[in-house]
Amino acid sequence: MSVKLINPMNETPVRVSVPPARLRSLEGKTVGLLDISKTGGNLFLDRLEQLLREQFHVANVVRAMKPTFAKPVPQVIIEQLRGADAVVEALAD
Amino acid sequence: MIGISQDDDVATNAFVRQLATAFTVQRDPDFVLSRAFDVSFVPSLFLLGPDGRVLRSHFGFDKSVLNEMAGQLQCPPVAEEFDGVPHSKPGCMSRHLEPQVDGECAPAPVIGSARGVPASIMEIPDGEDPFEYCFRTFGDGLPVIPPTPTRIALMLNGAAGDRNNVIGRVPPCYGEATAEKIAANAVMAGCVPDMMRVLLPLVRAMCDERLNLHGVQATTHFAAPLVIINGPIRNELDFAYRQNIFSNVARANSTLGRALQLILLNIGGARPDGIDMSTLGNPGKFSYCIAEHEEANPWEPFHVERGFNYQQSALTLFAAEAPHGVSEHTARTPEQVLKSISYALATVWTYRLCLGSDALVVLSPEHAHTIHRAGWSKQQARDFLFEHTGVPLRAYEGAPDAEGSQMAAKYKEILIDGERCFQKFRSAESIRILVAGGTAGKFSAVIGSWVAGPRGSEMVTYPI
Repeated sequence: MSVKLINPMNETPVRVSVPPARLRSLEGKTVGLLDISKTGGNLFLDRLEQLLREQFHVANVVRAMKPTFAKPVPQVIIEQLRGADAVVEALAD
Repeated sequence: MIGISQDDDVATNAFVRQLATAFTVQRDPDFVLSRAFDVSFVPSLFLLGPDGRVLRSHFGFDKSVLNEMAGQLQCPPVAEEFDGVPHSKPGCMSRHLEPQVDGECAPAPVIGSARGVPASIMEIPDGEDPFEYCFRTFGDGLPVIPPTPTRIALMLNGAAGDRNNVIGRVPPCYGEATAEKIAANAVMAGCVPDMMRVLLPLVRAMCDERLNLHGVQATTHFAAPLVIINGPIRNELDFAYRQNIFSNVARANSTLGRALQLILLNIGGARPDGIDMSTLGNPGKFSYCIAEHEEANPWEPFHVERGFNYQQSALTLFAAEAPHGVSEHTARTPEQVLKSISYALATVWTYRLCLGSDALVVLSPEHAHTIHRAGWSKQQARDFLFEHTGVPLRAYEGAPDAEGSQMAAKYKEILIDGERCFQKFRSAESIRILVAGGTAGKFSAVIGSWVAGPRGSEMVTYPI
């Protein structure tokens, strides 16, 4: 006879999100750069912004920063990035 | 009483259904009411007189204000102090003040109901050893007891309330921890049914936003939640608080700590081979539960210091590194004992980094006695540690890029024994003192924290 168990795992339904289509090119696009506020993140993103503008000819770069790296990003920061065609979230140590 | 929702019909109806609200909820589709009442943040509370005049208003969420307003309406308090949510939150910007992009609103936050879905029944294929199956499917790398319906029914005898009540949503995957799911993990960990008395408030405390379990479970740091038990429950459920408290000394400590970790794995989803990406981990992720040796503590117990009375049992959670031992067998004065401890305190997180973390000092009864017999209070000991824990300025020479050096401009310079140092901690309250362990042996322990304070994790204490 088989043994029955009460499922001890997470069974909470989750909303499934579909990722947007991958960009074919960055040219003329708006790219969001999210600094998670770790030391050195700005150095990395400064360089990335330069490369995006010079080599990939993005039209616009939007910079945003989490108030602390230790917590999920607040909605108000996500709102700042709304409208970007792509977002790069960066940490650096 | 009437609730006003700024969300659309679908989100509002779903929210009302999930929470089974006992009052009418209406929509404010064009934000007419929001503008009329000049709402800056949601939630906001307005108490109106019979003539429609605003008698009282409050922006944001605040349990005290909620209960005061309930009192003004001759109703009993509505907000519980220890239900797993913070005492107050500033709220979010009112939607009518949000910048609009193409007429869209941000999606409504996912807020679940107070009642969860019954757990599904799993069937182990014929011929398979149930212990092997559970070991492989739900375990922490060690065998577990199969969570059969009979064992869970027995475990739930130790818990008040419906088995499908949601006790908390466990980060980082925010799985609904119903009483039934908690009982299933308690069975697997080897708990006795009475342990549900501790496990339910423990899960609520674990989901308290101030602890920031989301960060604790997802960090690459060493942190693991340390459970500290105080009050009469220690003896009622046989928690160990004498020798070997950080070890495998008692079923209560081992199984409570393990049940919590299984809940974090199986319901919270922070599996060590996936979402939990801690670089080195922490042996406390098997089980990390201690109790205070109140009988050997010459001062007030830890939970009394944190606002509870002696007879109230309580649990405290601290995002903790592993214990770092301090052996001091020859010092005979409080100053000498505490100086030895301060040298260990100076190294938490990393030597040069100041102001970033808190620390728990677990004093052995002998060390506590040495400090107390000289007439020192616990606060005096803490103040001494605060004033004598620092990092000499010479440690920063030639290391401008080292962790901690880059923030040195923010540090406070003090003199310790005539040497210029940066003060290690933000305040004396960053150092917590607990008395635990065997009465023989002059060994204490220093336990560093994860990122401390409102920007990281704050210690929480809940009644049991």
